[in-house]
Amino acid sequence: RPALRAVIKVTLLKNEPMGKPITLEGLFVGGSAGYAEGKLMQYHPLSLCNTSEDERQESDFITIVKLEHRVRPCLPLLDKARMALDKGAQAVIFDVSDDANAAAELREIDSLPRPVVLVEAEDAEELMGLVNKNEEAKVRIEIMVEQSKWPHYDV
Amino acid sequence: QHKQISGVSSGCQQGGCLTCSDYNGCLSCKPRFFMHLERIGMKQIGVCMTSCPPGFYGTRSPERNTCTKCRLECDSCFNKNFCTRCRAGFYLHLGKCQENCPEGLVRSDTQRECV
Amino acid sequence: GWIQDKQGPMMPLCPTPCQCEKDGIFVMVDCSELGLSSVPANLSPLTTYLDLSMNNISEIQPRAFHRLHLLSELRISGNQLRYISGHALQGLHNLKVLMLQNNQLERLPDDAPWDLPNLLSLRLDANLLSEVPAGTFRGVRSLRHLWLDDNSLTTIPVTALDSLPSLQAMTLALNQITHIPDYAFTNLTALVVLHLHNNQIQSMGERCFEGLHSLETLDLNYNDLKEFPVAIRTLSKLQELGFHNNNIKAIPERAFVGNPQLQTIHFYENPIQFVGKSAFQFLPKLHTLSLNGATQIQEFPDLKGTTSLEILTLTRAGLSTLPLDLCEQLPRLRVLELSHNQIEDLPSFYHCSALQEIGLQHNQIRRIESQTFQQLTSLRALDLSWNMIEWIHADAFTSLHSLIKLDLTENHLSSVPVAGLGSLTHLKLRGNTNLYEAFSPDNFPRMRVIEMPYAYQCCVYGSCESYKPSNQWDTEQSNTDEDLHKRTVAMYPIHAESHYDPDLEEFQMEIEESKLQTSVQCTPTPGPFRPCDSLL
Repeated sequence: RPALRAVIKVTLLKNEPMGKPITLEGLFVGGSAGYAEGKLMQYHPLSLCNTSEDERQESDFITIVKLEHRVRPCLPLLDKARMALDKGAQAVIFDVSDDANAAAELREIDSLPRPVVLVEAEDAEELMGLVNKNEEAKVRIEIMVEQSKWPHYDV
Repeated sequence: QHKQISGVSSGCQQGGCLTCSDYNGCLSCKPRFFMHLERIGMKQIGVCMTSCPPGFYGTRSPERNTCTKCRLECDSCFNKNFCTRCRAGFYLHLGKCQENCPEGLVRSDTQRECV
Repeated sequence: GWIQDKQGPMMPLCPTPCQCEKDGIFVMVDCSELGLSSVPANLSPLTTYLDLSMNNISEIQPRAFHRLHLLSELRISGNQLRYISGHALQGLHNLKVLMLQNNQLERLPDDAPWDLPNLLSLRLDANLLSEVPAGTFRGVRSLRHLWLDDNSLTTIPVTALDSLPSLQAMTLALNQITHIPDYAFTNLTALVVLHLHNNQIQSMGERCFEGLHSLETLDLNYNDLKEFPVAIRTLSKLQELGFHNNNIKAIPERAFVGNPQLQTIHFYENPIQFVGKSAFQFLPKLHTLSLNGATQIQEFPDLKGTTSLEILTLTRAGLSTLPLDLCEQLPRLRVLELSHNQIEDLPSFYHCSALQEIGLQHNQIRRIESQTFQQLTSLRALDLSWNMIEWIHADAFTSLHSLIKLDLTENHLSSVPVAGLGSLTHLKLRGNTNLYEAFSPDNFPRMRVIEMPYAYQCCVYGSCESYKPSNQWDTEQSNTDEDLHKRTVAMYPIHAESHYDPDLEEFQMEIEESKLQTSVQCTPTPGPFRPCDSLL
């Protein structure tokens, strides 16, 4: 099945409601393409190793996890994605810039109840930059729709 | 009332950190240190410490040492089911934090215990 | 240095470079992680909290704390202390919490022990202690919580523990203890929690737990126990017992007769072969029982009086029959996992009305009667795969309104009653080679994943609309999935330049809906060598 691309619109809470969103891109994992919205919340990779009662977030939130190959592997990435969604996330964003085989591990996945998106390079850097500066932000995830170069003419 | 976090400094320069990253803080700890995942606003970083912060207890094992949350009604605990100090409004008796004390004991608000 | 005062002016006597914080008339001093090699000298007598952790202190000079009569908590963890004499802690009359973990302590004081009459919590974990002298705890009689884990103890410090009448919680985990002698904890009558996990305990005296009248939690996990710890018989208040990851081969008859309060027993990762039929009787608070691979179990355990059981797992044993009154004994059962046995006939699970999951795969079941699963209105998952089921009564599933997963893989079915299966999302019938019927999608409005014996049975799910008879096969090879693929590629040229089309809402709804309609995943998917029309 085709991997759909995601549009990630990020609005800093301090700039709301007028602030112009930052638009970034990512790749939906398997069949998880869809719409989601929530506050951006970073989770340490180790927090997705067991179901210890992580703190419950009040409002809708979107989890972002920077994957690092130096972190001890505890669960397959699919299980980590599911655990993040089970913790209440509206969607999960994995920064795979430093974990090359993460994307491959998640390619052939179908049964995810909510969107899971992979980001890397500049898009990831922009997102993690906000996190590092603790800039509270709201994120909207949508399916990227592009006008193909040659619109369909019935020739 | 006591210091929030003991035996730790933030970021990668901590004494207990073995491997570290700018975004995630500590990724692994030196032997015998506890790994605690601390939330600061939207961030969550790994912190290595000799004792877990209030509201958490440490579990040691040959592979790793981790901090785990106590029960909600405990300020501090020995393990999941044994509290050592209660939250306000709860009173300690044999490791349990309850709103009422067993017969024959009375509630001490200063110590938050059944005495 | 000056003391930061929340309300008023600064106060003297905050040793540089520490940080101090006033709390009323008292002061809390934080000298952690400052590279200190000794205890600061000019500490205020009004100090109630002192944190010296994570420094380079290798010795505590005599009378270092002698003025700190009001000190309540002292943290010296994460330093290089090898020994702390009794005199070093003189004057700490009010101390309640003393943290010495993560040091290099090799010895503890004996003849002149620490005089800390009000101490409640003592942390000695993560040090190098190979023994605890008899007199060590003589001056800390109020102690409630003791950490001695992650040291080098080879024996239980029986005599040292003799003088702790108020001790409620203790861990001796992660040491090298090999044996627990009789009467090891005799005077610890207030002890509620005892952790002994990750030692090398091979044997225990039958009276080793005598005196532990208040014990509720006993953790013997990750040891080398070869016999069932019968010594637990004296622990009448025991609620939580763990001895998983040991070497125990049998659980005797009436094993827990002395422990009526037990709520959880963890004993997985033991080579258990035999389990006494009466082993798990009369445990009214037990809610989980799991036994895997106990091959010598031939009969279903008698669970009389164990009425709160919610999860029962008994796999890879030798069961061939189930008691007819199983559900009368276990009215609260939610999960019943009996896979990999030799069960032939099933009782009625009628009284197990709370059942949500049943696992009976890999048994020898032949028939499913009408009353077998009657009234199981909460049942969500039923696994009957890898049996010999030839016949299922027409009404067998009629009351399973909540059933979403039914696995009948690898049986001998020629027909399957669909009445009552309207809620299914997963149905597996692979391997029933006599089952030719193509089930209409109308029977399963919520179906998402279905496995059929033959590919043509998937055609009713539209998986092969465009598979024409063979002669047109090569030219127009595509299936519904591929149709979707074509439309998608046209719309999402992955590497094309991205013009983002603002008018999304409507299109995204269409994507969502189209995903629902064609998302029934039916296998085996018809293909060149598995055409839609049945070869027969």
